[in-house]
Amino acid sequence: MYVLKDEQIKFILEDIRRNGIESEELQLSLLDHICCVIETEMLAESHFEEFYRSILPRFFKRDLREIQEETNLLLTFKNYYAMKKIMLNSGMFSAITFIIGAVLKVMHLPGASVFILLGIVSFCFLFLPLLSILSVKEQKETKDKVVIGIATVFGILISLATLFKVMHWPFANIMWIVSLGILFFLFLPVYFFTGIRNAETKINTIISSILILTAGGLLFTLTNLRTSRWTDESFYNSDDHLRDAALYASEQNQIAFSKDTLSLEAKTLHEKANALCTQIETLKTGLIAYSSHGEEGLTEGQLIRNYGSSLNFASDFLFDDKGKARKDLAQIKLDLADFNKYRESTLKQKPSNLLALEDVYKFGEKEQGKITWEENNFSHLSIATTLRNFNQLLLNIRLVESSAY
Amino acid sequence: MYSSELIKGTLKTIILKLLSQNDKMYGYEITQKVKELTGGKIQLTEGALYPTLHAMEAQGILTTDVVNVGNRIRKYYSITQTGKKVASEKVNEFSEFIDTMIFLLDLKPKMG
Repeated sequence: MYVLKDEQIKFILEDIRRNGIESEELQLSLLDHICCVIETEMLAESHFEEFYRSILPRFFKRDLREIQEETNLLLTFKNYYAMKKIMLNSGMFSAITFIIGAVLKVMHLPGASVFILLGIVSFCFLFLPLLSILSVKEQKETKDKVVIGIATVFGILISLATLFKVMHWPFANIMWIVSLGILFFLFLPVYFFTGIRNAETKINTIISSILILTAGGLLFTLTNLRTSRWTDESFYNSDDHLRDAALYASEQNQIAFSKDTLSLEAKTLHEKANALCTQIETLKTGLIAYSSHGEEGLTEGQLIRNYGSSLNFASDFLFDDKGKARKDLAQIKLDLADFNKYRESTLKQKPSNLLALEDVYKFGEKEQGKITWEENNFSHLSIATTLRNFNQLLLNIRLVESSAY
Repeated sequence: MYSSELIKGTLKTIILKLLSQNDKMYGYEITQKVKELTGGKIQLTEGALYPTLHAMEAQGILTTDVVNVGNRIRKYYSITQTGKKVASEKVNEFSEFIDTMIFLLDLKPKMG
């Protein structure tokens, strides 16, 4: 058996490295294998380097680098089939859940949000990333990989922006604008200029670019989809009239209750009404400041004209994460109940529908179950409607109060 | 000697079966063992052997043990529990494949 010298082993190792075997483990494996072959097959009188050169072609068809390439391929693609399977299944899952969610949403049926959420989340975080990884691996040129990468980022962002918009979550608009910015100013130029230089893909690139531009344009027109100025103005008018009416009723009551002929009980009721109205006004002031998008000193009218249809603020301010009313709103309800009780027991007056505090059916439908007075009047509403309902409450208190004189 | 196309599809099965019968083996040993067992009819090409060994190691089908042999390093491969399952699956699959091929190509199995 031939015994290899240290410098011969070093020579083989360096030759393996030079021939494109990059990973150390593979270098050492091949080194041992080649050494074994030489030790068992080489005759004592043979020339080492000549013999080494003669056995090397056993290891490849073209060159030694093939072994490194084949190893890389097997290592990177070890999960290829699993990834492809997950990609297809998650794609199917996303499509089905999203369609179900959208149909439920259009028909105002329960469960819509859950399906839409599941569909978009699996689309963004399973399907699109896997599709991107698998597509990038199939592309040889860096520019094509870059195009796929940008398209993936755009796809994820626009889907999430849609989800946020549908769910009325914050930052939806900024995400929407950023994703369209990526589409128009990054993806489209890169896609267009890489595709148009190649004669084979030129026509397809032009057509696809026009389609992308049109689709992006259509999405952009939806960006500022909000109520018309006429609708905003109708919110404003409705709120303004009610505020005026409540103020007028309040003034009339102040005059009426200042007469000495009224009983002490009637005057106590008037004080209770005044206290209630002050509590409501304080809560309203807090809500207006909270919903003013950081603009200081915005009046109720200005807020409604500028942001009246905004759905994000009123519920966040008045209810906690679990949907429980904030303390001062809950206190107003308690004091209203006390006000009703005082009227009915002390002043012997008939109960009034205007200040009914009972739970009611959600959306007026029995099968939807009951919701509380505060949920019915102040939850899930636009800022304009919430303020309007507070003003209605102020007016109702004054109307009910007026029955005492 | 059989063509490399025929051997390529069975390489993994051959390696796993050998390793489940032997405690641990190194690359050269595997090629020599196969050659010996088949009377030279099957010769594993090194170009396919090492990528497959490394991939199976990464998949957790094989584990390795590094030993210094004189002035170089030798990597011994042994089969894991998962690998044993894969080995029996592969052997069964191949056995069914042979039955199918016998039927498909209308071959008469040699008796005895």
